[in-house]
Amino acid sequence: MKATSFLASAFVVTWLSASLRLAGPVLLAALGETFAERSGVLNVGIEGTMLLGALASFLAAAYTGMIWIGVLAAVLVGIAANLFLAWMYVSVRASQVVAGLVFNVLAIGVASTVYRRAIGNSAVPESVAMFPPVHIPFLSSLPLLGPVLFGQTFLFYLTLLLAFVAHFVLFRTNFGLALRASGENPAAADSAGVSVYRMRYAGTLISGAAAGMAGGYLVLAQVGFFRENIVSGQGFIALGIVIFGRWNPLKAAVAAMVFGACDALQLSLQILGTGVPPQLLLALPYIVTILAISGVFGGKAIQPAALMTPYVKD
Amino acid sequence: MARFIERRLEPADSPLAIIASTAAAFLAAMLITAFLFRSYGASPLQAYFALFHEPFATLRGFGYALVRASPLGLIALGTIVSWRSGFSYLGFEGCFVIGATATAWLALLTAPGGRIGSRIGPLPFVLFLALAILLGFAAGGAWAGWVALVRARFGGNEVLISLMSNYVAIFFLQYLVSGPLRAPGSLPETPLLPRATWLPFILRGTRAHAGILIAIAAAGLVWMLLQKMPLGYELIVTGFNPSAARYAGIDVGRRLAIAAFFAGGLGALAGLVEVLGSQHRLMDGISGGVGFAGIIVALLARLNPLAVIPTALLYGGMSVGADAMQRRVSIPSSITFILQSLAVLFVLAFDALRYYKITPSVFWRRAPEVAAEQVSK
Repeated sequence: MKATSFLASAFVVTWLSASLRLAGPVLLAALGETFAERSGVLNVGIEGTMLLGALASFLAAAYTGMIWIGVLAAVLVGIAANLFLAWMYVSVRASQVVAGLVFNVLAIGVASTVYRRAIGNSAVPESVAMFPPVHIPFLSSLPLLGPVLFGQTFLFYLTLLLAFVAHFVLFRTNFGLALRASGENPAAADSAGVSVYRMRYAGTLISGAAAGMAGGYLVLAQVGFFRENIVSGQGFIALGIVIFGRWNPLKAAVAAMVFGACDALQLSLQILGTGVPPQLLLALPYIVTILAISGVFGGKAIQPAALMTPYVKD
Repeated sequence: MARFIERRLEPADSPLAIIASTAAAFLAAMLITAFLFRSYGASPLQAYFALFHEPFATLRGFGYALVRASPLGLIALGTIVSWRSGFSYLGFEGCFVIGATATAWLALLTAPGGRIGSRIGPLPFVLFLALAILLGFAAGGAWAGWVALVRARFGGNEVLISLMSNYVAIFFLQYLVSGPLRAPGSLPETPLLPRATWLPFILRGTRAHAGILIAIAAAGLVWMLLQKMPLGYELIVTGFNPSAARYAGIDVGRRLAIAAFFAGGLGALAGLVEVLGSQHRLMDGISGGVGFAGIIVALLARLNPLAVIPTALLYGGMSVGADAMQRRVSIPSSITFILQSLAVLFVLAFDALRYYKITPSVFWRRAPEVAAEQVSK
């Protein structure tokens, strides 16, 4: 094999496997957000929820030494935080953008206060054990595809599975139908006997559980430690992926892979040593997301009709 | 039978009800934060004293409060213009960066060693400032304006596009200060701007600079625009009911673009004020969340331009006091984020209380009186 083609295939393998690795957390958060938006709630608070989930998983894994306790803690904290958000969105009927945005600031305050307090305690280590890559026999030794598709962590396969589960629940169950009806025409759903409030609480809590777990994903499968800037806009990217994926879990999975590919491209190009400044490449996934959701290509994105509209039961 | 708590059909909207619900929200936020202070073993009273004493009872601290209030106030004014026009713009972090970049670029260009400055000599400060304001406002306005065009023309969602555009601006700034505009040295930052381009200091013995005057003037202009000018009326109508506005012959897309342009321009002026008044150079991380803090200031001021400056001073003062608190009582300054964001969330939540009517007299009035009242109804 010639040196250049070896380099090229090494480049492609690193690039593609990094694409999938980086796509995981945003896809997980986007799957949950799809439920919230389909029920009529734009949950901007998933950015802060991811941060809280990341901190919870780090602390739980650090104190117990058990990685699964970390995942569980992230999910529970995500649900608890979004119970408050759901109350603000659905019961108080506050502006969803405002409540979510301010919640993100609250999450930064809470996370950095708790983290500073925890690292003052000498029992907390600097980093925690992470999910190892799962090597599936035979499959992961396939050329090219093997290391890309079959060398990811368990959380990645779980997320992929959840995309199919989400698709099934949303489009093939009564619950999914009621949830979508609450986001499209809440008054009609209400007269058909659907509790719109309950559906919107459910949508918001599902997005909270997923976003919390996505924060845990960052800590437990990508970096192994907690930093206050660990999320840095990935929750917002998940919001973009929901639009890019047209509020459909399987399309969101594709959208997340595209985002991951852009994000990973800058890593790979830096390794190749091209002259392109790395900061401009870092902006690439955000620019691609902006273009994807702007509606400039592929016409207007048709969002759930009652998105961001609080429902008042007469 | 009169009950203790009754639900109203419409929220009580008397000034008293609004003031009472706002005050109750602040008290609740302060109460929760007091418990947090206690958990650090500090007396809440001492902690609150430390939080407010430095910025509002010492001259030096007040100067710093003015320094922090200027960009916050300008961003809050931008928020008010765009949000009241129905344009939920959240990209002020980016506008701030764009304004700061344009200003620093102009200052370096016209500096004695700069490409233009070395030919025509230094500009008089007033001329430089006017040029910088024009350039910064236009750059920020364009940065926010295209988002409005995308929404009007293609139906893109401005909330998410503006959130994403923040990151693009921040990475652009990182590129500039680590490449083309970088000063020799280890830090990613530009050289110090020439002293002749700095905003004058306005309080002897403090760091307070003329940026606060720019913010106050802007508050007056925004109030004039929204309350006294036909354009402002059209903007508010557009925000209140876009289809009615369209029916009345208002070009909604164009009004959105105008509102976004003003909002972005005001956000960029915040960057100008920070660069020329406080940092005197451009560096990575210069925005540091002020684009979101400014939105919170606007919300606490209930989108009223005249309330912006006092609110920004309170908010900026609290962040100065938080640093003092961290030094003196060793409570992390991040707790003030909790206090400030809880205050906004409770203001929103307590608005729901205005739907309820409390009749405490049911407990001390005798039953026959109440019954008689019911009969007379």
